[in-house]
Amino acid sequence: MRIASAKQTYAADEALFDSAAQRGWFAVLLLALVLFPFAANQYWAYLACLALINVISATGLNILTGYTGLVSLGQAAFMGVGAYTVAVLEARLGTPFLLNLLAGGALAAAVGMVVGIPSLRVKGLYLAIATIAASIILHFVFANWTAVTKGVSGINVPPARVLGIDLDTPFKLYWVIMPLAVLMLLGAANLFRTRIGRAFIAIRDRDISAEVLGIPLLRTKLMSFALSSFYAGVAGGLWAYFFRVVTPESFPLIMSIFFLAAIIVGGMGTILGAILGAVFMTLVPELLKLGVGLVSPFWPNAAVVLSPVRTVVFGGLIVGFLIFEPQGLAEMWRRTRRFFHLWPFKT
Amino acid sequence: MLRLTRRGLGALALAAGVAASLPAKAADDIVLGGSIPMTGVFAFAGIGIQAGITDYLKIVNDAGGIKGRKVRFAFEDTAYKVDASVAVFNKIVAQDKPNLYYGDSTAFSKTINPELERNGTMLMAGASFATELNDPKKYPLQFMAGPDYTEMFGILLRYIAKEKPGAKVAFVNSDTEFGRDPIATSEKKAAELGLKVVEKIVTPPGSVDVSTEVLKLRRAAPDYTIFHGYVMAPIPEFIAQAKQMGMTSKFMGTFWSMDNSMVQKMGELADGFMGVMPYRYYYDDEGNAPMLAKIREMRQEYQSTPYLQGFLTAMLMVEATKRTLESGQELTGKNLKAALNSIKDFDTGGIIGVPISVPGNSIPVGRIYKADVKKKLMVPASDWIKLEQ
Amino acid sequence: MDFDWLLLFEVSLAGLGTGGLYALTALAFVVIYKATRVVNLAIGEILMLGAYAFFGFAASMALPWWAAALGALAVAGVFGAVVERLVIRPMLGESPISVFMVTVGLGSMLVGVVELIWTADPHRLPEFMPNTPIFIGEAFLAPKIGYGFLVAAVVIAAFVLAFRYWRGGVALRATASDQAAAYSMGINVPGVFSLAWVIACMVAAGAGILVGSIGGISSTMGVFGLSVLVVVIVGGLDSVPGALVGGLFIGLVEALAGSYLGGEFKLLATFTLLVAVLMVRPYGLFGTREIERL
Repeated sequence: MRIASAKQTYAADEALFDSAAQRGWFAVLLLALVLFPFAANQYWAYLACLALINVISATGLNILTGYTGLVSLGQAAFMGVGAYTVAVLEARLGTPFLLNLLAGGALAAAVGMVVGIPSLRVKGLYLAIATIAASIILHFVFANWTAVTKGVSGINVPPARVLGIDLDTPFKLYWVIMPLAVLMLLGAANLFRTRIGRAFIAIRDRDISAEVLGIPLLRTKLMSFALSSFYAGVAGGLWAYFFRVVTPESFPLIMSIFFLAAIIVGGMGTILGAILGAVFMTLVPELLKLGVGLVSPFWPNAAVVLSPVRTVVFGGLIVGFLIFEPQGLAEMWRRTRRFFHLWPFKT
Repeated sequence: MLRLTRRGLGALALAAGVAASLPAKAADDIVLGGSIPMTGVFAFAGIGIQAGITDYLKIVNDAGGIKGRKVRFAFEDTAYKVDASVAVFNKIVAQDKPNLYYGDSTAFSKTINPELERNGTMLMAGASFATELNDPKKYPLQFMAGPDYTEMFGILLRYIAKEKPGAKVAFVNSDTEFGRDPIATSEKKAAELGLKVVEKIVTPPGSVDVSTEVLKLRRAAPDYTIFHGYVMAPIPEFIAQAKQMGMTSKFMGTFWSMDNSMVQKMGELADGFMGVMPYRYYYDDEGNAPMLAKIREMRQEYQSTPYLQGFLTAMLMVEATKRTLESGQELTGKNLKAALNSIKDFDTGGIIGVPISVPGNSIPVGRIYKADVKKKLMVPASDWIKLEQ
Repeated sequence: MDFDWLLLFEVSLAGLGTGGLYALTALAFVVIYKATRVVNLAIGEILMLGAYAFFGFAASMALPWWAAALGALAVAGVFGAVVERLVIRPMLGESPISVFMVTVGLGSMLVGVVELIWTADPHRLPEFMPNTPIFIGEAFLAPKIGYGFLVAAVVIAAFVLAFRYWRGGVALRATASDQAAAYSMGINVPGVFSLAWVIACMVAAGAGILVGSIGGISSTMGVFGLSVLVVVIVGGLDSVPGALVGGLFIGLVEALAGSYLGGEFKLLATFTLLVAVLMVRPYGLFGTREIERL
């Protein structure tokens, strides 16, 4: 039980981990992440990699939408930019793995900034729709710039090579994706302890006031777009290495909606929210399938309704969380934690 | 912040444990794994495919299996989404160690190919007839139970060239990977056959209003119009408007738009609609077709063309397995594929009207069928057409 | 070769015909936005719901087409009322982004429900429009597009008149221009909200029947909503004339891009236009510019 934590400095107040217990749990988590693949079969390793990639991308979107208040429906398209960059570099030039990922992130960031330019003039929903336009235009480029993207048939990506080992199974890729995800999450968490991160939040809360306070609006908004797209680009690059083929149809608009849904369900504007949301939304279809497996002895036709039910549940989660738990899973988690803080004395 | 994630991982590990501890089936079963789209936009095909594979395996197992070993079909629904298909693949490979696999889309076949080669224990086929997959060098462990899309076009064009030399042809395709697949290569083919491709129309995916496209088509005044990349919409609307404008073009489709129940949904419009089919229809009782008779015996109601596709795919897979086991070799992807390629003048029991060979990744055989609206059936309009490799 | 003027004319006609359907759907969108300030991304799915309800009544229950159409409108109206009451009203006052995402979620749920009832297979609606081709001069116009346009035009005209003269229409406009003032004048504002949703959903369903009768129905026909989104942004979210002009305009642009550049350019053309309009007039061609104050 913990009553309160007294802090004497701002630095302590801002610290990522405010108690020894938290640091301890973090170490346990890291250990669990390291041990996980040894306990998991190929299927769970696959899901873990997919969830981690989604976590990176959702965190990126969270920087833009959750922290800066700019809604984007272009996240999947930015991932596509990253994925195509990585695919072209790897397949044509065979440059090293990390460099490709960085290049993918950088190019996605550049594209993201271009897409973000209208954000000075248009806001809110108009901006969201401008990002839909961006993703349609990018899709067109992917499908028709045949010289680079090989058109609709897409690019086959050779496996990533690190230290002479081909990373061609989820188990091996996990060792690249997991550390990267942890790094990028720590980066995002630290971002909001800096001036830039706080400027983002100021813009979200009221952009005109932020400008009055001396925050350059366009530059900060573009920076948010760039950072967010960088995360998307890296996630897209990992996606390319993971699925080993990149086609224009790999990054549909519904995928952007998926990421928005993930941060809504997880909790907008918290690091934990993007993690929980992305993991949860990635696992929901598999959980539903498990559920179908459980009821199928009693209701043999259950499998036939799986896909529509999945669509309904997807929509239902968005609607339900927005109406009943707008702060998302992260808030539910905080509530649970608070409960245990005071546990034996107040229930 | 950290505890729930850890707990989530605990749940993961737990679930993994549960999954791993599922009772293992008889060890010497041969497993045919499948990522099957039982729901979603491609469900009509997936349901047929699943039934076809199940039925053929039942026939095999009732007859004692392959050299005494039973064949088991382990499949899961994918909703026709690539990531779901890959998830299913990983799950089934981890649990059931399949030697044969059925995939549901071109994108899946391409995505999984590196893993297939790395794994090396499986022979794979699927619902995709993509031209790109018909390359034994790039896709050494895959095959398709029919002609690829370019070959389908080739069969159609061959038929047109014979019926009306020098005819004008138009291609209408959807703006998807599936739709664009055979267009460029087939244009060349048409030129070789002395046909003129007068118009190529691309429709955006999901578009329903085709009035402007029909206007263009009318200007081109083709003798034959070939649709590709659709299951149904917007083919009926195309035909309806074209007929209203007094166009005389004949309309043709490829395998996935050739199912009898789909075509007959068009009603009167279907009259004269033609297309290429690698298989005989469920109701076709001409000549000697023991397998079709058996299917009719097992299932009284009409079975779709995807059913036949699944059925034949399973038949070829079983044949390849049988040949591999008979020659005393191990069941690896390479051996299975070699055994498959050794199939020569094979009798499919009437599923395909002529004996077939599988020299590469496809079976370049097909026949033109034409809709007979009065009988509500697709009836043969040509003999079997075999393309040389 | 001479430039084919007839083709241009025919293509333009076809484009305007489709544009009429866009305008009709955009009208539904604008009505909702004006009354409740909700950007309804589910409009394409509501349109789909209407088409499927019509299909259900006409094909499965074998009702005559007019009864089926009335039934579909009723279903859509009830749907609108229920959604407004259960989902939209609790969200009033939340950030517009949340409300917008709620409608995205609703759209997804609708697709799922439709697939649950009718499966994802495509269907064709029973034919109920005359089938004789229309020739304007020498130019051909597909009958369904022509009649669809006529119906759309009549409905839109009825609407514009209702907005102008009907009590409910006036209440709606009053609520749109100043909610507090409307309240104090004794207008039942929540009632107006409900009314707006009911009417808009019925209009969308009507558009859905027309769209479905042209190209058949499937659970993916909600993408029609994407083009409508462009229409309302270009026209201005809160402008009825904007919806009408925008609808015809976008229909025309799509048709021209589709026939002279190729089908794959349709969406590209309209969305490029959208970006251009957003850069020049962020509130749309006819929309109201909102002034922000601290």
